[in-house]
Amino acid sequence: MSSFIANLILATVRMASPLIFLALAELYEERAGLVNIGIEGIAAIGSLVGFMISLISGRPGLGVLAGAGVGILVNMIYAYATISLCAEQIVYGMAINIFAPALAAFIYRVYFGSGSELVQANLMITLKQALGIQSDNFFVNLFLDQTPMVYIAFLLVIFTGIFFTKTRAGLNYKAVGEYPKAAATLGINVIGTKYLACVICGALAGMGGAYLTTCYSRTYVDGNIAGRGFIALAAVIFGRWSAPGVLIACLFFGFCDALQIRLQLVNSSLPYQFFQMIPYLATIIVLAAMGIRKAGPKSAGQPYRKEER
Amino acid sequence: MRRKSVVAYALCGAMVMSMVPAFSAAAADTKKVAMISDTSISDGGWGMATYNAMVDAAKECGWDTMYSDSIAQSAYYDTIVSYCDLGVDMIYAPGNQYSDAVLQAADEYPDIAFALLNGAEDTPAKAKNGNVSSLLPDATEIGYIAGALAGLMSNSGKIAFIGGMELDTTLKKYNGYKDAAAYVAEQEGKTVETLDPVYSGDFSASDKGIEFAKAMMDQGADVFFGDASAVDSGARQAIDDANKAAGAINVFDIAQPSDLLGQNECIIGSQVTDNAGLLKLSMQAVEDGSFGGETLYGTLENGVLSAGKLNTDVVPEDVQKKYEDYIAQIKDGTFMGGEASTEAATEAE
Repeated sequence: MSSFIANLILATVRMASPLIFLALAELYEERAGLVNIGIEGIAAIGSLVGFMISLISGRPGLGVLAGAGVGILVNMIYAYATISLCAEQIVYGMAINIFAPALAAFIYRVYFGSGSELVQANLMITLKQALGIQSDNFFVNLFLDQTPMVYIAFLLVIFTGIFFTKTRAGLNYKAVGEYPKAAATLGINVIGTKYLACVICGALAGMGGAYLTTCYSRTYVDGNIAGRGFIALAAVIFGRWSAPGVLIACLFFGFCDALQIRLQLVNSSLPYQFFQMIPYLATIIVLAAMGIRKAGPKSAGQPYRKEER
Repeated sequence: MRRKSVVAYALCGAMVMSMVPAFSAAAADTKKVAMISDTSISDGGWGMATYNAMVDAAKECGWDTMYSDSIAQSAYYDTIVSYCDLGVDMIYAPGNQYSDAVLQAADEYPDIAFALLNGAEDTPAKAKNGNVSSLLPDATEIGYIAGALAGLMSNSGKIAFIGGMELDTTLKKYNGYKDAAAYVAEQEGKTVETLDPVYSGDFSASDKGIEFAKAMMDQGADVFFGDASAVDSGARQAIDDANKAAGAINVFDIAQPSDLLGQNECIIGSQVTDNAGLLKLSMQAVEDGSFGGETLYGTLENGVLSAGKLNTDVVPEDVQKKYEDYIAQIKDGTFMGGEASTEAATEAE
């Protein structure tokens, strides 16, 4: 295998991993009938809190847990507004996208002051490092030179796939997103399920954000989520609201991003902006192609009013 | 339902209020300068250096400072205008990318001074009210300072450059870097090729810096220079990791625009720009009423540009000496057989 292809595959996995967390977060939310476009914002606050806790404690794993915790907290604003108050989901998702990154920037300034030193935290070590393996073999790097978060991301995909298709609890969960009133008549706690979805979504989105500052980059910079929350939304649609589909979509978007970086290096005759368009162009093309058939949960985006006929 | 609506409005209100930037009124008689930046001031690179420059210059001149960092391109103009409405005396915009927003605001606020760091030479002439100055560190010379060190230190014969956006100043830095490295390598009896420049598209994506650096190291690059703020920090992280895996510092980074020696193990030297000096001149011009319409150049000759400290653990003693000689040549205009072209020299002609 050529070094170009090998490094492209390794970069694809690196760049797809945070997307998997964010896309699964959206998948759990949408499967319960909630469209949350605030994933970007939740990831932003998760990224900062993950970074700070990792820096303070010296334990990136604790940073990831803190990222998950703050993600749940912030998403409870969305949950209360959209589930209990039946507010417009898109509007509140957008509000989260504006509020959470601003809150992150505010916390950063309060904690670190207006000093301008570059603050760097330790990253989570990879399995290869933990085992002390020195090999530079491609398969060793692909399967072992990954942080525990990458394995968790892929295991979550498997778990989610099984949960939604093979378990009674998963089918009940999906029923809430399809026909909530029918689900309620069968004794399923619709409101409780929707709140549970928001807890799962907040945790996963916070972990996705924290991944960036505990497993990928040693620094926190405002805007480091860089549109991944929106790519995750596209990945859920591309993946036809299924866990395996979401995984393929995330790997595809990660591949496009990794490819554009390498194409800039091998082809200087085209303007670099052309290569930077590739992930977004691919998103548009794929969504246009996949959007023909409606496959999403039937009640997605619609408020659930228990007393309404 | 009404109670629930009130709670919903309160939540919305709280979110909106969190977005309102805090502003503390300064004493009316103290002059104020406000900086806008599309990158964080704690990015370990450009944002940090330009912010520190403002703070240092303001401290010397007795001015108050304000700043907004990590702002989006769509918010350049609105942020500038907000500060103008707050009554600042000077807007400090550290980057060529702010030129259009600065010129638009300068037309609308004739009494406010606009200092555009890295602005183009002809930008001040475009301001109808003559209230814009370009502070222009010589980008080609900056490239020479980094390129000379890269040419001396490269063992693989391949060096790399990472840009944030394809700005005029970035291209000049790249060309200066490439030409100087090739020239110095030739003098040393070797060949050094600069890989084509790559651009992250913004200045915040440290993860892109990691990926760019990995990809360029795969292509054999062993010296890096960049003009991409936090993206450069990401690149340094990847270089440090590669050096750690190799058990030795084989891949190097040259920092800018302040002396960052010690921030990362891979940094062997820095190109230093005394932006505070240029800004201080602008502040003094505001105070004596002579501000506007000029381009203030920063060169090695006038002391605004310099080469930072070298990592003496990594850069051999003979290379340190040779580098000093090349810097002296750049300074006295004899570098590259006197054919080196710098902006200040071109302007003088």
